[in-house]
Amino acid sequence: MLEKILPQDIYNIIKNKVNINYVNEIRLRSDKPILLQIGGKRTFLSSSGTTSSIKEALLASKIMIEDIIFRASECSIYSVNEQIKKGFIVTNGGIRLGIGGDLIEENGVIKTMTNFSSVNIRLPHEIKNCSLCAFDFLLENNNVLNTLVVSPPGAGKTTFLRDFIRQLSEHNYAFNVLVLDERGELDLGNNCLGNFADKISFARKSIGFENGIRSLSPNIIVTDEIGQKEDIDAICYAMNCGVKILASAHCDSMDSLAKKPLFESLVQDKLFQRYVFLSMRNGPGTLEGIYNENLTRLRV
Amino acid sequence: MKIVLLLLIFIVCIFIGFTVSRKYRVRANFFKAMITLCQKFDIEINYSRERLKNIFLNLDSSIKNDLSGIDKNFLLFIDKETPLDKNSLFDKITFLKEDEKDILFNFFRSLGRSDVESQSKEIKNYLNRFEQVSQNTILENKKYGTLSVKLGVIAGLLLIVIFI
Repeated sequence: MLEKILPQDIYNIIKNKVNINYVNEIRLRSDKPILLQIGGKRTFLSSSGTTSSIKEALLASKIMIEDIIFRASECSIYSVNEQIKKGFIVTNGGIRLGIGGDLIEENGVIKTMTNFSSVNIRLPHEIKNCSLCAFDFLLENNNVLNTLVVSPPGAGKTTFLRDFIRQLSEHNYAFNVLVLDERGELDLGNNCLGNFADKISFARKSIGFENGIRSLSPNIIVTDEIGQKEDIDAICYAMNCGVKILASAHCDSMDSLAKKPLFESLVQDKLFQRYVFLSMRNGPGTLEGIYNENLTRLRV
Repeated sequence: MKIVLLLLIFIVCIFIGFTVSRKYRVRANFFKAMITLCQKFDIEINYSRERLKNIFLNLDSSIKNDLSGIDKNFLLFIDKETPLDKNSLFDKITFLKEDEKDILFNFFRSLGRSDVESQSKEIKNYLNRFEQVSQNTILENKKYGTLSVKLGVIAGLLLIVIFI
């Protein structure tokens, strides 16, 4: 999919001179050097591959950025306008493009975004078995425990969730898993969610939880990046319905999680029985610890 | 031998007449198909947000036929195999005038570039222009299409008379 999005010359450099399997992010800003994040480290893209010298770095242009966004929408910006309004596009292969530009607002309602000035291409990677080290800690009596995966942005929360869903399937836990994929990042296709997952994509969590529980009667709901009060309400609603929750949230440490106003009550009420904390210390997906509902470390 | 030669000249004249006539017919059908295409775009974009590639791929075969390959040329651009320029877009399309090519090029260049509301307005705007061009091409076809066949027959007969 990346070759369909990027200009041919940029793609050829990344494909031939950089190991694409380790590229996490490609950042393009209008008239600024192109940045790559490889294994958690930032470097510039040059015609010979990567460079630490800003002088040798290739510059992104406004036309280049507009063309990337146009291509990512499969040449149909109108079809992804709802996503663009929220500042991103997700392609079929799960590549997520964060977009910067001018938001057009009318009567307090965002209509669209124009004048694109930057794009951050996040490349998903299916890291098989990355959740295995935590797998046994997240199950009890053959049932999944309510779990929150916590990490700073880009540290592998989504990859962890994706792999955990697949591991459930591979370990023959035939739970009905409902994946609420609000940003379309969890499902990369190629059966990466195993055999027992249903999916609702691009729906707000409040709607997705209610509709999903009514129509698909899941045992487990998996959702990415909770961050608003209505997300917490939706999770409480699902838990009250007897559904187990596997979710993720941005946070740079376990201490700060408990202090965040949004998560404070969630931690105090012990809604989640397990917390998995990931970091980028040794690259994305570094498991810093698994914690119980009292925030006592169980492992690592 | 002479009769065969004269017959051949007659056939060639009729063929030229039909070829010229066909050009007018193809032009008229092309712009009719462009109108249908615009209407289809407007519906698909407004109601199902269908992507351009799928709209083009799911066109009726009769419309595809009348579009004379411009749809395929645009699909090549979508598939990133050719750039979006006039040479690629009008490849193997010889019956269009320069001003018509300009309108069509701008139309295809605007496709997929904006949100639903703007795209829909733009398509309606081009629809009006295509309707005007289509009226002209239908009139041209009525006027010159049959005339060129008749002229081909008359020219053929005239040449036969001259050579006899």
